[in-house]
Amino acid sequence: MNQQNDVSAGLHSAASEEGCHIFNTHGCGFQPPGTSLFFPEPYLDFGIPGTAGITKYFVVLTLALLISAGFWYFTTRNAKVVPSRGQSLAEMLVEFIRNQITRNTMGKEGDKYLPLMVTMFVFIFAMNIMGLIPIPGLQLPVTTSLAIPTMLALFVYVLWNGAGIRRNGVGGHLKAHLVPGGVPKPLLILVTPIEALSNFLIRPFTHALRLFAVMFAGHLLLAVFAAAGFYMFNPLTEMGAALGAVSVGYSALALIGFLVFTVFELFIMAVQAYVFVLLSSVYIGQAVEGAH
Amino acid sequence: MNLAAEQDSILQIHWDEFTFGAIAFILFALVVYRMWPRLTSALDERANQIEGGIERARKAEAEAEEIRQQYREKLDEAHREYARELEQAKEQRASIIAEAREEAQSEAQRILAAAHAQIEADRQHTFAQLRNEIGTLSTDLAERIVGESLGDSAAQNRVIDRFMDELEQSESASQAEVR
Repeated sequence: MNQQNDVSAGLHSAASEEGCHIFNTHGCGFQPPGTSLFFPEPYLDFGIPGTAGITKYFVVLTLALLISAGFWYFTTRNAKVVPSRGQSLAEMLVEFIRNQITRNTMGKEGDKYLPLMVTMFVFIFAMNIMGLIPIPGLQLPVTTSLAIPTMLALFVYVLWNGAGIRRNGVGGHLKAHLVPGGVPKPLLILVTPIEALSNFLIRPFTHALRLFAVMFAGHLLLAVFAAAGFYMFNPLTEMGAALGAVSVGYSALALIGFLVFTVFELFIMAVQAYVFVLLSSVYIGQAVEGAH
Repeated sequence: MNLAAEQDSILQIHWDEFTFGAIAFILFALVVYRMWPRLTSALDERANQIEGGIERARKAEAEAEEIRQQYREKLDEAHREYARELEQAKEQRASIIAEAREEAQSEAQRILAAAHAQIEADRQHTFAQLRNEIGTLSTDLAERIVGESLGDSAAQNRVIDRFMDELEQSESASQAEVR
């Protein structure tokens, strides 16, 4: 295990030093980007267990915060009856989230949660697109660190449980989530544990993991395309001009793939932010609604 | 490094990142909640204005409809008035014509009657004068012819009357012939 790591680390450093490309004569191969992408070297490591120290994530998170807060501040600062372009954008966003998410899942009552949902959507989307904003060395979606989706999912978990208990009492809240309506009494012995597991244990995990996993996989995919394109670009290979041309062709394919998946990834980033907020809204809506 | 690599699992939660994330989330939520009233007040104001505008437009429309109705009524009224006056004028014309005709007729009658009376008077006058003159003349004539004075005035008158009667008769006979 250790040896293998050493070898790969060695190869990696060698490749990056000499510029390892296809059709080379020193026998170095393609090193696909691995999960090490998501474990950036800390700028400052405090050595506390369970922490990563001040890493790239910290910087990117700060940027995402500045971008989202700046966006919201500057678009709504001078909110007027006749909206500016920025204000129109903010209004469109608010109306979209109200009409598509909170009104659908909570009805009129959802308007109370609208600012929160807008906050979550904009914040998550800003963190996601940090993977696409080309700042050299800082292209990393913040949501690929499981801590962030977990934090948000945990917040939503506390929120919907709190809202449910406040509305229906502890008993009513538990009953609504453990005893589904229309199930025969004997079956409850079977159904209630399943419901408990599903609603109170698995739900927050899937809520967090969905966002994390999709962003993680997307970023890795883009990284592979980028690395492959870079690896395959070797027009001055010692093996002849023909193979040099082939390498350029390969590299162009990788570039096209990268661009296509970048656009796709942008879509996915918006969809994941939407899904996360939609699920949050659904959970809160169910909790507030109580037993059927 | 190796130790870190062993710890590295993508499902690992770094609690410092968790904390930073929470702080960032709270900060952003503060911004959104702080700015929220501005956006909603703008939206409410716009809704109000649109509502007010629609209300105003509806009122103006109703007013215009009312005025249009009034105008239409006035127009109808004017038409009716005109027709009535036309009718009246026709009647008046007819009556004026009839009156004028009547007046003209009576005037004509009067003139005619006056003329008749005048003529009659003239005739009487002339007749009387003529009788006198004829009387005188015929007496003179008779005196001269006979050469004697008819001293008896009664006989004189008798002769003259008889003569006049004959004259009248012949005159009325000729008048009847003319008619």
